[in-house]
Amino acid sequence: MKKILSLTLILILSLFLLSGCGSNESNTATGSATNDTSGETSTSAPSANSDTVLNLFTWEGMFPQEVLDEFTSETGIEINYVNFDYDETMLTKLEAANGGDYDLIIADDYIIETVIAEGLAQKLDPSKISNHSNINEVYQGQFYDPTDEYTIPYGAGVQTIVYDPSTVTTEINGYADLWSEDLKDNLGVIAGYRVINGMALKIMGESYNTEDVSVIESAGEKLLELAPNIRLIKDDNIQDDLISGEIGAAVMYTSQVTMAKLANPDLEIVYPSEGIGFGIMAQFIPSNAPHADAAYAFMDYILQPEVSAKCFEYLGYYCTNLEAEQYISEEFKDFLTLPEDFDGETEMIQNVSSEAEEAHSKIWTEFKSAAGE
Amino acid sequence: MKKGKLPNIYLGVILIIMYLPIALVILYSFNYSKISSVWEGFSLRWYEALFKDKALFEALINSIILGILSSLSAAVIGTLGAVGMFRSNFKGKGIIEYISTLPIMVPEIILGMVFLVFFALIGLPFGMITLVIAHTTFCIPYIYMQVNARLVGLDRSYVEAAKDLGAGELRAFLDITLPLIRPAIISGIFLSFAMSFDDVVISIFVTGVNTNTLPIKIYTQLKTGITPEINALCTLMVGVTILFVLLSSWIGSKKNISQKQEELS
Repeated sequence: MKKILSLTLILILSLFLLSGCGSNESNTATGSATNDTSGETSTSAPSANSDTVLNLFTWEGMFPQEVLDEFTSETGIEINYVNFDYDETMLTKLEAANGGDYDLIIADDYIIETVIAEGLAQKLDPSKISNHSNINEVYQGQFYDPTDEYTIPYGAGVQTIVYDPSTVTTEINGYADLWSEDLKDNLGVIAGYRVINGMALKIMGESYNTEDVSVIESAGEKLLELAPNIRLIKDDNIQDDLISGEIGAAVMYTSQVTMAKLANPDLEIVYPSEGIGFGIMAQFIPSNAPHADAAYAFMDYILQPEVSAKCFEYLGYYCTNLEAEQYISEEFKDFLTLPEDFDGETEMIQNVSSEAEEAHSKIWTEFKSAAGE
Repeated sequence: MKKGKLPNIYLGVILIIMYLPIALVILYSFNYSKISSVWEGFSLRWYEALFKDKALFEALINSIILGILSSLSAAVIGTLGAVGMFRSNFKGKGIIEYISTLPIMVPEIILGMVFLVFFALIGLPFGMITLVIAHTTFCIPYIYMQVNARLVGLDRSYVEAAKDLGAGELRAFLDITLPLIRPAIISGIFLSFAMSFDDVVISIFVTGVNTNTLPIKIYTQLKTGITPEINALCTLMVGVTILFVLLSSWIGSKKNISQKQEELS
């Protein structure tokens, strides 16, 4: 009897062990852009402001811990840092709270369009944000908030091509060069199909967000010609394959570009001549935020050039604060700031109609099977 | 080939598949490099970072409290339910039994959504209370099934004998039934704790503004990348778990020996 009990215990405990770590193991391969995890601060300080708490709702690892700590010690506002996994989860929770509970949310552009349309964000009062003028104009007036009444950008993903000049002999200037025979079986791409389908659309001189199904279908044919060059399609850790030399060129996420460039500074980053795709993360205050003043204080705090530079070096996304660029160290400058001669030929990937979405996923599936994935 | 070799090979393969990933996590927790595929030498820097990370410990403590509260309340409700159902006999019992195990059949994402809507509707503030209620709900079936299986295997005559000798309902339950089903309750609690400790999907929907749990914290690093600090944390957790296993088997064997000695004398 006791034997059975202890056997059961061992079994259960090993189950516990497996389930406790199971979720971590698969992720240890994900690599990291960060040194330290940031999170809620538990420092208690005397209240200087009318609000003493800030409920910050965003992904884990968006701010270095020291910035959060310094904010608390300077303003006396304690930060509750809570996390969501996907933008859609954030929207659901915000809807359930009817625009309350949270004071400041940072999320992706397309979901903010929905949040604003549902009336869950409040109009910002620019007079409460003294550093408002530091924002880089390139990231202002975008589709999700054309008049910049609701949001302040915090970090941008910029679609670039990265290649290793020591193994790739052709010069790459734009997406069209990726079709070159010299890159046979030497190219890695992420599985963001709007991004990859978009390369073919861009070569054809079309928009990322075209609603014309026949245009998307011909982009699919163009994409099939790229298949022989594809060595791998994956989202996780694709930068490791570029560093190790498994692939010579890659189209990948911005934070991965940062990791790759830090590991191998000789890599070349190309702003595709056909036009550049963008994704922006932005901050907004929910319509019924309990501590809106604390949210203003925080937005203003992280818009300070020095603080902002620290944040973006930690985050690994493009710096949306123009004044902060001078404080970003040389090591990071190449891949956190846009080049000075940047001509602004940009386009953001937006939500498209379900017919267009269906066409996109169809050509993506065909492309994947042609590439042998 | 000799008989008995094949099962050993099979067992070996299973063990390797189960434990190699854990061994790798332990190994890489001592890696200096931030990139998990590159070995840059032995270092304790991630342990240092881990112990400095107050927020991570807060999340860990939240998770442990949540696990204990929800597995214990599930144990009470689940055991009472199983014992009650076992004793009674009525029409539609099978259906009710089936419904009570439903929370583990329903996809977590749906449970999470339902809880979110329900709590918002009745105006319960999101936080530890909503977390405990939600976790208790999906923990109950584990306890219920364990206890129920145990009850089915029990000989009814034990309880009948006790009653014959004049014990009341309560006395018979406390002195006879409860000790006999205790192993099932304990293993149910362990299983529930593990399930609660591990849960992301439901927690993320019902958590409030200051109750981040450990799995949520790890899972939401998706956007920015997992740090090797998590490897260090995982190593410590594996260590604690192994300690528990050794301890419980040591206690078990000690009792066995003393029982045998009693029998001999």
